Amino acid sequence: MSKDETTIKKMLVDHKIDGPLAAKGFGPKYSLRSPSVPNLHAKVYTEYNMSDPTVGNATGGQGTSINEEDGTLSVIDMYGDDDNDIDDIVSSRAINLGSGNDDGNDADDLRSSTQSENIFNTTSINNSIDKPNGTGTGKNVQQDAQHNDRYGFKKQNNSISESDYDRWWLDYSKYCIRRKHKWQLLLEKSGLPIVDDSPIRFPPKSEKLKRYVRKGIPAEWRGNAWWYFARGQEKLNKHKGLYDKLLVKVDKMTSQNKNDKTYPDLDIIERDLNRTFPDNIHFQKEVFQNGEPPMIKSLRRVLVSFSLYNPKIGYCQSMNFIAGLLLLFLDEERAFWMLVIITSRYLPGVHDINLEGVNIDQGVLMLCVKEYLPEIWTYIYPNHSDTTVDTESNRRTMSSVPHKTQSSMMKNNFLYKLPPITLCTASWFMSCFIGVLPIETTLRIWDCMFYEESHFLFKASLSILKLSEHDLLKHTKKRYHSSSRLPYSITGSNHNSSGDLLNNKMHQDENDMEIFQVIQTFPKKLLNPNDIFDKIIFKKKFSFNRLDQEEIDRCRKYVTTQRNKYKRYVELIGNDDKTSEESSATLVNKENLDKTQDADDIINGALSSEVYGFKRNLTGVHWNNSLKEKVRQMKKKIDGDE
Amino acid sequence: MSRSGKTLTKYKIVFLGEQGVGKTSLITRFMYDTFDDHYQATIGIDFLSKTMYLDDKTIRLQLWDTAGQERFRSLIPSYIRDSRVAIVVYDITKKESFDFIDKWINDVKNERGEDNVILCIVGNKNDLTDQRQVSIEEGENKAKQLGANIFMETSTKAGYNVKTLFKRIAKSLPEFQNSTSDPLSGDSKTTSDKNDANVGNDKAGIIDISTEEGQQQSGCQC
Repeated sequence: MSKDETTIKKMLVDHKIDGPLAAKGFGPKYSLRSPSVPNLHAKVYTEYNMSDPTVGNATGGQGTSINEEDGTLSVIDMYGDDDNDIDDIVSSRAINLGSGNDDGNDADDLRSSTQSENIFNTTSINNSIDKPNGTGTGKNVQQDAQHNDRYGFKKQNNSISESDYDRWWLDYSKYCIRRKHKWQLLLEKSGLPIVDDSPIRFPPKSEKLKRYVRKGIPAEWRGNAWWYFARGQEKLNKHKGLYDKLLVKVDKMTSQNKNDKTYPDLDIIERDLNRTFPDNIHFQKEVFQNGEPPMIKSLRRVLVSFSLYNPKIGYCQSMNFIAGLLLLFLDEERAFWMLVIITSRYLPGVHDINLEGVNIDQGVLMLCVKEYLPEIWTYIYPNHSDTTVDTESNRRTMSSVPHKTQSSMMKNNFLYKLPPITLCTASWFMSCFIGVLPIETTLRIWDCMFYEESHFLFKASLSILKLSEHDLLKHTKKRYHSSSRLPYSITGSNHNSSGDLLNNKMHQDENDMEIFQVIQTFPKKLLNPNDIFDKIIFKKKFSFNRLDQEEIDRCRKYVTTQRNKYKRYVELIGNDDKTSEESSATLVNKENLDKTQDADDIINGALSSEVYGFKRNLTGVHWNNSLKEKVRQMKKKIDGDE
Repeated sequence: MSRSGKTLTKYKIVFLGEQGVGKTSLITRFMYDTFDDHYQATIGIDFLSKTMYLDDKTIRLQLWDTAGQERFRSLIPSYIRDSRVAIVVYDITKKESFDFIDKWINDVKNERGEDNVILCIVGNKNDLTDQRQVSIEEGENKAKQLGANIFMETSTKAGYNVKTLFKRIAKSLPEFQNSTSDPLSGDSKTTSDKNDANVGNDKAGIIDISTEEGQQQSGCQC
């Protein structure tokens, strides 16, 4: 142990000198390009260790984790959420045994588990950076170590209790060790070096690698793996030195005048800094008595730099979470470029000022639900729009349309007036599931997103919706235990028609809320990433698992076109909620009547192509897989006949 | 009135206002009577519902918490549209957030019309007296000028006036129209009203706002 401690101290000193710490802007110059895996090896816990001997175990391991040849460390420390707890010691032994049995190779196992210790390091990231003395915080830290997960997030939240978490982690940590071991073998086989437990290159894409990614990238490799799969270096190389230049500007802006009104994003970012992961120790003030946590400083620099780099987006709430999570795994410059990549490649337009990208993606998601999960679709979008009542409750973002054309627009009108639930699912995309799902599950989806591109976000969304079916059924049954299973099919009752309509609307509203609540709450309980994967993603029977990037891209294009057509129509006809009076006046106006008819033509044209477009999509994009299958069978039959 | 909880009258309340003024905090204080120094920024819309007990009546409140940043505004209209109550929050230590309430109120009026909605203006962070940028009078005047039904200053940190706010809102709802004197009369009254202390039984999972909160602690720890 004393040897460990020396190592720790030495490491600490090393890091103070040439680690990522200098790069974080604490040194005189920003040199952010240097370290290969900066964050993972800068350790805050090492400092805690020195200040409070009781937390020594957890950190002692870390010091050696970089060169762990001697392997004398106890497994307890690696998953040392709770050093002094007897339960934990027992459980850690179980880990040791468990993984030993599974892998059948003690030496390897020990090694793999020792390295797994780094997982814990992941939590510590770069917090040590400007914490000049660690005294006095030991107690808090110890508590944190107990109540926080390996990334520094609080284990407990409104949906998950700490004991739930610990119970799950007991098994899941073993799983992580096993998976990491497999990754090590895979990399060795591929002839790729793992230096300092921080590989920077990964094998070429393959079905096997895809499966590995889907089962989770080892936490301490994540930063590098994401960077590699998202081709971050390529991006950075194209813009060498740009981040440094941006930082110079940022520095000027933030140091001179924080309330610079000419640059409104600055203030908006400022207000969100402390509202980014307030339950994560790395983002908390208390631990860092001297000024801001370095993490907050980094976050500010990344976000302000981004808003300078891409004024079209500037700063959009939710990017703080994305950048914050990136900073837990990558150094500042790489986090910046990953933010650039995420907002352009994986979530195009989603954070734009008009948020149109998010609406498009919700349209795409709704199309997918309708196609692949019709059973869920009946909850989300029952036939309520077929009635004439709906105008109040059903529309969301877009304005209403005259009744004449409304009926013809019904077919796909959920693309313009997105179902209410999309306001919930919109945040899934905007924050890329951060805060929506528990952290391990979120990270797993990120793994897959970087490897498989953005269509995986839709797969993940569909999986969550599918998994929530049980809850949806339960809740709506409770309410509609009477005749029908479907929430909205209350028609055909004996009421007079107006009462019926009223009832209908009331039920719709209530039901929308019920569904909203279920869909909002359900994902927060998905503590175990494997639930999504083993129950849905790896199951062939779910046809949406055949969705690929090409399909989603085309679908995005299609929804974009449809929404644009609709918007043009609304502009032309001048019908908007806010100007409904004016527009009804213009309708009477003769001159404008022609205009209206033109518009009608346009919308009809748009609609016909809309319907056709969707059908074309069905076959052309292999949208409808059952249809595709039918065609194949017919072909077979014809071939056979010949 | 409530048939075994099945047909509780529901009221939709939407929370609007600039980023970081304390919308989520206000809801959390009301729902759980807790406070954190920092809440995660709300992305999109959050939905919570709570049963509330007052004057021997039980109603269900559906609270819609919204993201404050301007660009999210395009997503919100339909939620305003069906709301019975709109609470526009500003931060008394941020003049800017106060200037923005005109916009929010306009949004509400556009979506909802003037008469169908109970409009509340709430100046939050009232405990931060030394940083105050908007006086109570300014708040009151603005509320009058914009025709708000209720104006109040609150401190979600100190738990000041939060229950009172919801109580006054509840009393403005049709459900309570017969049992109370005109609830909208004391519009610009900002001090915590220590009036009618109704006796209500505590029911599990139900917020009983009959009892008045008194603590008006001060001092910020940050």
